[in-house]
Amino acid sequence: MTDLPTSSDVVVVGGGVIGMFIAFSLAEAGMKPLLLEARAFGGAVTGGSLAAIGTHMHGREEFDILAYARGRWRAFSDASQDRIEYNACGKMGFILNDAELAAGKSLVAQEKSQGARSELLTPEQARLHEPLLKGPILAATFDPDTATVNPFLAVRALMKAARKAGAQLRENTPVARVLSDAGLVTGVQTASGHCISAPHVVLACGPWTAKLAANFDINLSIVPRQAQCLASIRQPLGTLHKVISSCEAEGGVDSGYTQIQQCPSGQILFNTVTAPIPTPEGAEDRVGEVPPGFVADSVETLLKLFPALKSLPILRSWVRFEGVTPDARFLAGPLPTAGLFVCAGDNGSGFCRAPLLAQFIADGITGAGTLPDAMRRDTERLYNPFRFSEGHTA
Amino acid sequence: MTAEHLCCDVAVVGAGPAGLAASLAAAEANAVVICIDQFPRAGGQYHMQPNASGTPFANTPQVQQGQQAIQACEAANVRFLTGAELFWAEPPKTPDAPFRLHLARDDQAIVIEAKTVVAATGAMERPMPFPGWTLPGVIGAGAGQRLLKTSGATCALPFEGKTVLAGSGPFLLAVASTFAKAGQGIDHFVERQPAALWTKAKAMLRHPSRLPDAIALLRDLSRTGARRHMGAIVTRAMGNGKVEAVEISPVGANGQPDLQQSFVVDGVGALCIGYGFQPVIDLTTALGAAHSYDLSLGGWYCGVDAMSGATSVSGLYAAGEVTGLGGANPARISGQLAGLHAAATCVKETSGLNDTAIQAIVTQLNKHRAFAATLAQLYPMPESFPVPLAEDDVVCRCEDVTLADINAAIAEGARENLAVKMWTRAGMGLCQGRNCGASIAATLREAGVEPEHTGYNRSHFPLRPVSARIAKEALTCEFSPD
Repeated sequence: MTDLPTSSDVVVVGGGVIGMFIAFSLAEAGMKPLLLEARAFGGAVTGGSLAAIGTHMHGREEFDILAYARGRWRAFSDASQDRIEYNACGKMGFILNDAELAAGKSLVAQEKSQGARSELLTPEQARLHEPLLKGPILAATFDPDTATVNPFLAVRALMKAARKAGAQLRENTPVARVLSDAGLVTGVQTASGHCISAPHVVLACGPWTAKLAANFDINLSIVPRQAQCLASIRQPLGTLHKVISSCEAEGGVDSGYTQIQQCPSGQILFNTVTAPIPTPEGAEDRVGEVPPGFVADSVETLLKLFPALKSLPILRSWVRFEGVTPDARFLAGPLPTAGLFVCAGDNGSGFCRAPLLAQFIADGITGAGTLPDAMRRDTERLYNPFRFSEGHTA
Repeated sequence: MTAEHLCCDVAVVGAGPAGLAASLAAAEANAVVICIDQFPRAGGQYHMQPNASGTPFANTPQVQQGQQAIQACEAANVRFLTGAELFWAEPPKTPDAPFRLHLARDDQAIVIEAKTVVAATGAMERPMPFPGWTLPGVIGAGAGQRLLKTSGATCALPFEGKTVLAGSGPFLLAVASTFAKAGQGIDHFVERQPAALWTKAKAMLRHPSRLPDAIALLRDLSRTGARRHMGAIVTRAMGNGKVEAVEISPVGANGQPDLQQSFVVDGVGALCIGYGFQPVIDLTTALGAAHSYDLSLGGWYCGVDAMSGATSVSGLYAAGEVTGLGGANPARISGQLAGLHAAATCVKETSGLNDTAIQAIVTQLNKHRAFAATLAQLYPMPESFPVPLAEDDVVCRCEDVTLADINAAIAEGARENLAVKMWTRAGMGLCQGRNCGASIAATLREAGVEPEHTGYNRSHFPLRPVSARIAKEALTCEFSPD
């Protein structure tokens, strides 16, 4: 790329929803960020996202943070005249056994105590919201305030807003390494050898973030995990209404999860993962195919809950790689090399945290105090990149 | 219900000229062969078998050669699975494991375990949008030919009114020949390339053995009674709810239509239009074979070893149009080559391949490929839209995406097929980008991105839409050891 600048206020590495929101927040704060994306903007983990936004089923500690982020998404949607398909559809967690019922009850109680409108529904009540949900559920959790956005359009709208605010964005520009001198970040070098000097660099490269940090002997606990989804041919709108999700009793994503929803195009998106799938060799360069067992599990769960969809024609599948951390939370904040920041470790749900994390990183770079003090402190603590003892080996 | 489970040495996907030749060659080399095809009868487009007896097509050489090839395959114990939709293929999990092909047929799941696979998936039309191209009655030239061949005893297109056959390439002559054999007239024949008789004659003289075919095709075109417009293109289809009129314009020296000199044909019932074909690469891309781009071969095609038909994936062979457009002759010969090699890798009791015989096949193949290259040079496929489009013209008809939508995405930074697709949904619909891929590439090309950098929609599960139930039955099929 010949049109790359030779210097910038701040370089953001990674053009997914996280990197793009950071570039947007930095530009809004008056900086002139340069964002470098290795391939297509929003083309990897972001593009494969079901992009649910809200507080439901994310636990006590992140509740306020997620509520803040949802507010920011709604405001962004209003500002972009809803070209991002913001849809406050609500989210339902289906409960199939007693252990899940106990988990669902305590979940609803906890969220209510924090101010959510969550409730526990009987199967009959659940069917008022979701008439085709004829499967053998014992109950369902329900949060009316969960929303979805169109992940592609969200990134496109963020790009537009970021550019308007003064950010420069470049795709097909992989960064080979981050440059430093005497413990200070000095810029980045692209894969084609071009050097850009910058006093600040933000690593927002999702599952592949640890590679760039490793050059500094910084061991970031982020590993890629394969995730996948199936999409049907368009169905009449109103076939499904809510984001349908499994209500996990314990173990979180690693012990399996399900998500089913109909997007505004009419397509039904669904996935059930019963066990983590190892990341194949070379996954960064060539995205693989969904495993047969995944298709079978996903169809089985879908038809168990929605028997009427047995002839649903499957049109498409996709595989993506999420950045996974040991406690399923982001790593966000400054790294020991001055000027270097990280914001990665989506664990499969980056959209619902993106606005908050972007503001936190932008504030950290500009020194502004946009976030309330308590929320900033919580964010520092919850997403501290070195909260795991083995974090920093330098 | 559970899936039916079949095993074979060589699974041939596609029963056109390449697939039939591959099946026969492999079966004669003692391989257990299953040949699958999505159509109800083997033969493919070229050898398409008539669906009624006594039609004028029954005695054409294409049908009879096809019938002989099918019978020869049956005599050699090739098992045909027709009317079968291949919706997924898995490469071997270990070097000794088989490929797994997943099919839907008569609402039933079938799983084939095959030691080797020959992809003979053929070609499909490469539609190019122009104003009015989505009106009912506007169909591909290939679709027109297929409709005619499968129209049973009526032997006519199901449209009232004049017929216009338009586009570019020798295939248009083949379609005209089908009309002549059906006893159907054509009102207007519109070929984008100028007559350039001397250039064509010189090119044909380098391949004298093909002259009789060429003369026969031209004679058939005369028999249709078509008024010929050489060096002209259809610049607009017009009508209320269906095509009723067609605007034809001469092509100027700059390659662009001269709309000042256009004229309108009224009373049109059918516009059959085709600017060329493209290889069907779903199966080979899904299995991870290497592909390259060459416009004269139809765009993206599956690369193969010239001596064996082997792709870059071990055990996967490819033959015919999927390896680059060339027509029925190279298809048949490359099918034989691929079939022989596929069988040799998995049948122990073959006497091995005869190097001299293989060399003779390769020589033949190269000769036919050279002729195909000559034709491709005479009739280059358009890489850009042949007619300038208006901003509100639809480019992706599955998802109703206009040129304006795509241009807006490009203006905001989309630089490849994938980015255009994510932001506009072009290519996300039923056809998964098969039909609009070349158009998106043409739009990106106008923005300065060459097609080889645009990329293509690599196929993912499923290759074709499949019901949730059948997918599950096929993918959970357990195999008992042999």
